[in-house]
Amino acid sequence: MTVGPGGVFSRAEGTDEFLLEADDVVKHFPVRGGAFGRSHAAVKAVDGVSFSLRAGETLGLVGESGCGKSTLARLITGLHPVTSGHVRFKGQDITSLQRRQLRPLRRSMQMVFQDPYGSLNPRRRVGSILSDPFSVHEHLSRAEVRRRVQELMARVGLSPEHYNRFPSEFSGGQRQRIGIARALALRPSLIVCDEPVSALDVSIQAQILNLLEDLQAEFMLTYIFIAHDLSVVRHVSNRLAVMYLGKLVETGPTEEIYLNSRHPYTASLLSAVPVADRAFRSERRERIILTGDVPSPVDPPSGCRFHPRCPKAQAVCAVQEPALERKSGDPDGHLTACHFPVVAGEALANASRETAGVTGSGPAEAVHP
Amino acid sequence: MSALRADELEIVEEKDPELNEQQFESRTPWRLAWRRLKKDRVAMVSLGFIVLLILVSLFAPLLTALIGHGPNTQYTTRGLSLSGIPVGPGHNGFLLGTDDQGRDVLSRIIYGSRISLEVGIGATFLALLLGVVVGLFAGYYGGFLDSVLGRFMDILLSFPILLLAIAIVARFGPSLGLLIVVISLFSWPYIGRLVRGQVISLREREFVEAARALGASDLRIMFVEIAPNLVALAVIYATLLIPVNIVLEATLSFLGLGVQPPTASWGNMIAEAQTGDLFTVAWWFLVFPCVALVLTTLAFNLLGDGLRDALDPRYGRSHISPAKRVRRAFRVRRTPPAPEPAEAKA
Ligand SMILES: Nc1ncnc2c1ncn2[C@@H]1O[C@H](COP(=O)(O)OP(=O)(O)OP(=O)(O)O)[C@@H](O)[C@H]1O
Ligand code: SF4
Ligand SMILES: [Mg+2]
Repeated sequence: MTVGPGGVFSRAEGTDEFLLEADDVVKHFPVRGGAFGRSHAAVKAVDGVSFSLRAGETLGLVGESGCGKSTLARLITGLHPVTSGHVRFKGQDITSLQRRQLRPLRRSMQMVFQDPYGSLNPRRRVGSILSDPFSVHEHLSRAEVRRRVQELMARVGLSPEHYNRFPSEFSGGQRQRIGIARALALRPSLIVCDEPVSALDVSIQAQILNLLEDLQAEFMLTYIFIAHDLSVVRHVSNRLAVMYLGKLVETGPTEEIYLNSRHPYTASLLSAVPVADRAFRSERRERIILTGDVPSPVDPPSGCRFHPRCPKAQAVCAVQEPALERKSGDPDGHLTACHFPVVAGEALANASRETAGVTGSGPAEAVHP
Repeated sequence: MSALRADELEIVEEKDPELNEQQFESRTPWRLAWRRLKKDRVAMVSLGFIVLLILVSLFAPLLTALIGHGPNTQYTTRGLSLSGIPVGPGHNGFLLGTDDQGRDVLSRIIYGSRISLEVGIGATFLALLLGVVVGLFAGYYGGFLDSVLGRFMDILLSFPILLLAIAIVARFGPSLGLLIVVISLFSWPYIGRLVRGQVISLREREFVEAARALGASDLRIMFVEIAPNLVALAVIYATLLIPVNIVLEATLSFLGLGVQPPTASWGNMIAEAQTGDLFTVAWWFLVFPCVALVLTTLAFNLLGDGLRDALDPRYGRSHISPAKRVRRAFRVRRTPPAPEPAEAKA
């Protein structure tokens, strides 16, 4: 479904302008093989996602591994062509642009990658890697490029003297700082951070998150922050979007979702946040552990894609796909795609036991802490 | 951008428990590889031999002047016995003896090394240039371009090189330059295919995507991002291709299609030596050029193997005994697109 530009998401009053709008974005990767090499099947990595984002906001995008988060990030930044749908950045539809036309937009739209090891060229020196943004987009003297690169390195907490080092001479956290510096170089307005800390040591995660937060304030950045668990995202984002198997299942203000999650999948993710964050789990939340594997995105379940694993699933869930819409009692901007949204005080773990027979494969099981 | 925040900088570095200066210091890819190579005695001996050979060929005029025998001078009185038999090694001041025309075998081998290295390294360099560029385009773009270029390389690799070389040399007349071009023409697909394969996996790497996200052009991605990652592969296979090309030169010269007498090349020395049956009594002027050829190709092969281990530790074969590696080097030599080595005929 499409979120109208009236701003169901709008937190701040005033401008109606969105920095970024995704409108029913779809990405199918054809599956190779089959008779005569022709493909009929497709990996439905992103299957109709809509959202919009205002300047200065941070949208946390959460979901299990393989649900299409990275793919969505690449569609937003124009790295993959969309199968259908539209992405508008500062009002301009980037899905219809050629690669060359996209180039000037790259300055204001950058990405921090998931893997701090894979995203830096192992055979190039850091100074050279960080001068790329300038050599691609600006014509500067060597001395000026060097000065800017060292400034950048200092800003993200690296020693400028390490200009001549190779990526292998840095630790994982430092490499992610390099990745952030590269994204920051051209002063973009939007940075998509694809799990920027999930490959890092917990003690270093906080440093990187703090750095991102500082940079946001300093450079007026808008972030899309991808993570596979909610605990990381809570600290950095003011809006959340929960993704399951190529679709958004719930979206809204972060605190609202933390306190009042309506989708059973979100509830199960929330019930799994680490002890330190337990304060945010209201009394009613028992630990819900989802069992069963994530179904294949090649052949997603009918109706609600979550139904084979959902503790609340009923017959209609397998038939009719729930729309992403505001549920009664929720504030504007809190949307849920579920026929039977969770209500406050509901014991989901019990529900799972009652409906285990109905749900068939992979019922959720309850663990009482 | 904000000014340098030195105070914050220091705190950050102290806090980072992952950072361990000693651990990360000098972990540049090349330094690591060199450290591994230094431990590999077989490779280091081979490297020493190759360096020596290069010095010998560079200073060939000086060396032969020191020896006192030019490569093409026929020492008919001192160099041949009264019945016309070549002088044996160590006699009359000929360290490796003389050949059927009374020429100093050592001086000729020294000058022959120039030809071997010129052709071996020259042809390999050209092959590398062509192979890397074609492999980059085929691997990066894939699709139709890749199938066309791939088919072309396969055809070239399956061609009877010698037949074609004979035709080309017959048409244009033998010359060193032509020799280099002809040899490189048939050895580049070998590099091209390897590079193509490597590029296909490199283009999927995240740093390529990062470059794309910055708006880098295809050419920039190919030559700035991907190419530096091909250097190790290129160095390894160039080292393995040089001996193949040296043998190819020797073969063509042996067949009279390469370096023309009286200019000395190991190939034409072997050819001349085995024409008569003089070598049955004066074995040295046949055996020593063969030994030079075998040692040189062996050294390059062993160095190439060592480089492969050092640059790509996944191979990790340095624990294999030197004898086994020498045997393996002989096997490697026959796989690339080379005809049967010339010395096999002799
Ligand atoms: N280039 C591609 N070609 C084919 N399938 C792809 C491609 N990229 C991703 N996919 C598939 O699309 C689905 C979504 O992948 P994606 O990388 O977007 O997931 P993700 O949510 O980022 O997971 P993770 O948390 O592991 O990074 C997966 O099933 C994946 O196999
Ligand atoms: S209750 Fe039904 S619609 Fe809601 S998440 Fe579960 S299966 Fe989907
Ligand atoms: Mg991902």
